[in-house]
Amino acid sequence: MSKRPKRLRYGRWRYLSLSAAFLLILITPLLNLYFHFTFIQGWYQSLGIGRLWIVSPLEGLESLLISKYLYLPSLIGMLIPILVAFYLGRVFCSWVCPISFLHETVDKIRAWLFRYHPITWRDRLVLSLRLLWVALIGEFLLSMILGFPIFVFVSPPGLVGRELMLAIIFHSFALEGFIVLAILLLHFVTRRFYCRYLCPLGGLLAFLGQKRRLKVRLKSRKCSACGICEKVCPLGLPVNRGGSYSPYCWNCGECVDYCPTGALKFYWKRSYYLKPVSVEASKARSGNPLPDE
Amino acid sequence: MMHRRLFLKILAGGFLASCAPGELASSPIKTNVLRPPGAIPEDLFASRCIRCGRCAESCPYRSIKILDLRHGFYAGTPVIYVEKVPCYLCMRCVKICPTGTLRKVSQKEVRMGLARVNRRLCVTWKGEGICRSCYNACPFREEAIKLDRLRPVVMPEVCVGCGLCTYACPVRPKAIVVEPIYAFRTSR
Repeated sequence: MSKRPKRLRYGRWRYLSLSAAFLLILITPLLNLYFHFTFIQGWYQSLGIGRLWIVSPLEGLESLLISKYLYLPSLIGMLIPILVAFYLGRVFCSWVCPISFLHETVDKIRAWLFRYHPITWRDRLVLSLRLLWVALIGEFLLSMILGFPIFVFVSPPGLVGRELMLAIIFHSFALEGFIVLAILLLHFVTRRFYCRYLCPLGGLLAFLGQKRRLKVRLKSRKCSACGICEKVCPLGLPVNRGGSYSPYCWNCGECVDYCPTGALKFYWKRSYYLKPVSVEASKARSGNPLPDE
Repeated sequence: MMHRRLFLKILAGGFLASCAPGELASSPIKTNVLRPPGAIPEDLFASRCIRCGRCAESCPYRSIKILDLRHGFYAGTPVIYVEKVPCYLCMRCVKICPTGTLRKVSQKEVRMGLARVNRRLCVTWKGEGICRSCYNACPFREEAIKLDRLRPVVMPEVCVGCGLCTYACPVRPKAIVVEPIYAFRTSR
């Protein structure tokens, strides 16, 4: 029981980060409307902090592919999210995305009302995770065939921000808000159904983060194959069978929090292209690199 | 993918009842419904705009409105209904557009449309009275709208199409309207 306070570390921090990210897009239009504070503008489709612009890579790429026009501020704005995805993987999805915030809030309410817990929950509809690539490629192909970007106005991460802005500034909701409700309803069928299988932005970030530096490492020697990690993983990844190394993993740290044996840890891969040091070599260098448990 | 498709199909079915099918793929731009300043031509607008809505957020007069899903492919794009709130040419939206859909133009280079006086409706042109609301409202007075024996005449080389004249016109239906003639020029 001495390990108890160490548990749920990442979960707390993640919810804090998600709340802060949600508050940012909630407070920005209010400040803009009532105090004419325009230093921070926009939401996770395009966020402007002073002169620094951040453009969502999916929307930017789609706009670039369809209009065949390079616009430098847009490219530079896409650079930051692309670099973050390249080094840290899909962290936007699990640590920032307002849809994620809504999902986790719904989960908290369910835990409070119906004693919901991910370990006792059973997903009703489990599909192949490869569907994410189908969503990403299909999305691009369909928009290029139609000649209109599709994702841009049904992109749930951006949609939440737009709905909030419309509600605060224009005192009205757009019809697209129902998409957010539909996604939250799908969550009652399978955990994070939309994030798992359908989100093209998640697909793009997963693609960019294939060779990410930050990963959850599984120490097989410590693992007791209890399967808790697979149960608590919001994406249903088989973490004890190497699921955290797959491109789908979004580094939320849920499995690290729940692992009873401490077999799962975040680690930063120094350089992807250097070969890992073999056990023999490390043994030779320092007398006892792997102390017995 | 299937679920979103299915969902969208159901959604689309609902809309078809409420709006004309042609409206989903045709531009919402028409008389007195304009794009914000500096907009690229309409054939590329919807494909380059990423619907981030920051132009609407930055607009201090709330002139810029965001279209909703009923406008099909044009959903999420910004428009200005000049009869409701015209553009006051503060040029904030052009500075923050992240995709260059609204080009960085100066006030005088804006071409949102061209004002047109309907001489059969205008009180002054009909000779029923003397009104120069449009002349007074014009930001480029004596340049974009001149008076020809007190009757308003629009100078097409100077008029930016901001719609202040339309907004000011007391006659119903409006005797001066803005036609988005520049929006439908083919680009490149």
